[in-house]
Amino acid sequence: MADLGRAALAVSFGLALYALVAGGYAAHQNRRRLALSARNALFACFGSTAVASAVLASALARHDFSFVYVWQHTNRTLSTGYALSAFWGGQEGSLLLWLLVLTGYATLVVALNRRLLRDLIAWVVPVFGGIAVFFSFVLVFVASPFDVQTAPANGLGLTPSLQNPYMVAHPPALYLGYVGLSVPFAFAAGALLSGRTDERWIVATRRWTLAAWAFLGVGQLIGAHWAYVEVGWGGYYAWDPVENAALMPWLAATAFLHSVMIQERKGMLRVWNMVLVALAFELSVFGTFLTRSGVVNSIHSFAKSPIGGWFLAFVVISSVFSVALILWRLPLLKARTKLESALSREATFLYNNLLLVALCLTVLWGVLFPIVTQLVKGESRTIGRPYYDFFLRAFGLPLLLLMGIAPLIAWRKASVRSLLRTLAWPIAAAVICGAALVAAGAGSSKPGLIAYTFCSFVLATILVELVRGTRATGSLLVLVSRNRRRYGGYVVHAAVVLLAIGIAGSSAYSSSHEVKLRPGQTTHLAGYTLTYRGAEPIVGDPNRTGEYALLDVSGRWHGTLRTGDVNYTGFDESDRDVGIRTSWLRGEDLYVIADFTKGSNAVFFKVLVKPLVNLIWLAGIVFVLGAAVALWPDAREQRRLASRFALARA
Amino acid sequence: MTALALVLGVAVAVAAVLLVAVPFLREPSAADDRLDATSADEDARRRLIEDRDRALAALKELEFDHRTGKLADDDYRELVGPLRRQAARVLRALDDSRAPEAGTAGGMTEPLTPTPVPEPGPPPDEGTPPLPVPVPEPYPPPDEGTLPQE
Repeated sequence: MADLGRAALAVSFGLALYALVAGGYAAHQNRRRLALSARNALFACFGSTAVASAVLASALARHDFSFVYVWQHTNRTLSTGYALSAFWGGQEGSLLLWLLVLTGYATLVVALNRRLLRDLIAWVVPVFGGIAVFFSFVLVFVASPFDVQTAPANGLGLTPSLQNPYMVAHPPALYLGYVGLSVPFAFAAGALLSGRTDERWIVATRRWTLAAWAFLGVGQLIGAHWAYVEVGWGGYYAWDPVENAALMPWLAATAFLHSVMIQERKGMLRVWNMVLVALAFELSVFGTFLTRSGVVNSIHSFAKSPIGGWFLAFVVISSVFSVALILWRLPLLKARTKLESALSREATFLYNNLLLVALCLTVLWGVLFPIVTQLVKGESRTIGRPYYDFFLRAFGLPLLLLMGIAPLIAWRKASVRSLLRTLAWPIAAAVICGAALVAAGAGSSKPGLIAYTFCSFVLATILVELVRGTRATGSLLVLVSRNRRRYGGYVVHAAVVLLAIGIAGSSAYSSSHEVKLRPGQTTHLAGYTLTYRGAEPIVGDPNRTGEYALLDVSGRWHGTLRTGDVNYTGFDESDRDVGIRTSWLRGEDLYVIADFTKGSNAVFFKVLVKPLVNLIWLAGIVFVLGAAVALWPDAREQRRLASRFALARA
Repeated sequence: MTALALVLGVAVAVAAVLLVAVPFLREPSAADDRLDATSADEDARRRLIEDRDRALAALKELEFDHRTGKLADDDYRELVGPLRRQAARVLRALDDSRAPEAGTAGGMTEPLTPTPVPEPGPPPDEGTPPLPVPVPEPYPPPDEGTLPQE
């Protein structure tokens, strides 16, 4: 069946090329039937890519090792779930997933907007076609998942660290985010190409951008939890280049989601929004390049191959295309109004944008630094955690503060007097919280103390805004349902506050201890007493061997923790299985990693107590809730937009 | 290539070609093969409608910000006049842009009547507060509420 997969991909390539060339020609020459034909080619491209994907998924499920890809990434002991997750465990499968999601998004968004935005869609189709041409070209000519061989008896297996439930969800979520950012990019480019730079492209892509941004955010949190429970170093984010690759487009998209509101309300920042959309898209492709090229050292670079050059070429070409397009259409992107006051909601959005983009570019420089030093000095130098931590504080804390101020400041113009009056309660809450924390001994970490004080300020502003809004409208439900985007955004702000509390708590106030124990020996940390009972081998699992250390815990919690070294069939290196005891009441984790010593019954343990770390995962749930509120369809808004389009044609 | 793969591969290719060819198969010779592009008038009207929605939304936001205490009375008075004038200006321009076309498009012989400006849908905000706070304007804008009466 590999031939069918290859043929389907070749058809996809041909269809994408047709959508690009015929679609571009039709839009330029104003040919209706050809434009429809190009649009159908894009739909058909999704169909043929789905066929290719079904062939690969079927081969993975059947352990058909005549497929080189299946042999490289699975073995017979893998469960069907993990075997299927190998679809994105390797490079070729990941690229196929990119193309599948891209053409799926393109089909949906073009089909849904085909009537209202006919003139714009004619230009959007070739842009989607262009992106699909690149990915289908790489899949057909450079990195095919359908290479075949004489089937060996067994496969090499899936990388052990990918054999985790989180890894079943993390890559697809990230891909839905990465690829989703091509929707606003295609519409923005289509608007520029057609010269129709009115608000329609923003209205059409608003929810798609929000969904892509939400997937990217959730994907990163799932990845962080995976790193926490699987990698076994006690942390959840290491500023690894591949982790940063997902963070950068998310930051750019966050900036866009805020600045686009200013364009919608005031007709300002039209060039800036185009730049942000292009930046988010380019960074998403760049992220895939980083993950797949092996150009930087990362624990997440599961595959290394020569496709890096192709990706780099695509990033360069699409960046030049975007910049040229924006420069060409600059006269159409002039702002219709001016910023009326530096003390206004739109001004705070602007400051927020500058901080987010500054943080994004700082992270980008950190990621590029090893590559630049390699090119300039011939040796690769890496930027360490202190660099990122410094800039996270430098930009992150003011961002947190702005997140509190922005909801309570008026649009257009606010006076200092009214602002101070509005902020009186939140400031009082922040001061009380800060003083209480100092009194409770939390002043040992200044960044932690500042973060908590700011967090209480933000939570208080959200509360004040909800209370005043409810008073004004008479009902919280009415308030939220009439502006889901705004109040969904506030829920997301609350999620960011939980995230900040979790990060500050687990980094600034954590305690750790390393100790070598023999059976019967005991160690203590932060109110916990741990006694090493002994080792227990893994039995009855054909895919895993190794042993677990059993620790009896007393003090703040009573029970047994298991932590061990696990060897997966077909792989030499062992994988750590972390022992975690979660206290949801305190949001705290007792976290233990075992390192067995060969030829001895002594075991090295690293014990950590991480206060409030679970608020990070709780933040993920609140984030999803906020995104869902913001994304929820609004019938009133749909009617208003429909009447806007109908009226323009009347 | 196995026979099954060959058959399925051909089926995928044929289905794709058919789907791509559908617009030409449905209309082998189209009387009007031009894209349904918007006219300059339509674009201008759309811009006006966007401006109208923006102006009305800004007024609603202003009311809401004032009611929730984010905006002082002085600032409210200073801002509300120009915003109302702007909204009125846009509504008038929108009305003007629609009136001539309404007369010519259908070849009407009856006297022109102004196309009623449809009630704009509520802008994306909290809606009108139940009890607006009366804040007198010291300098009532002269052209407010002076939409064409004919």
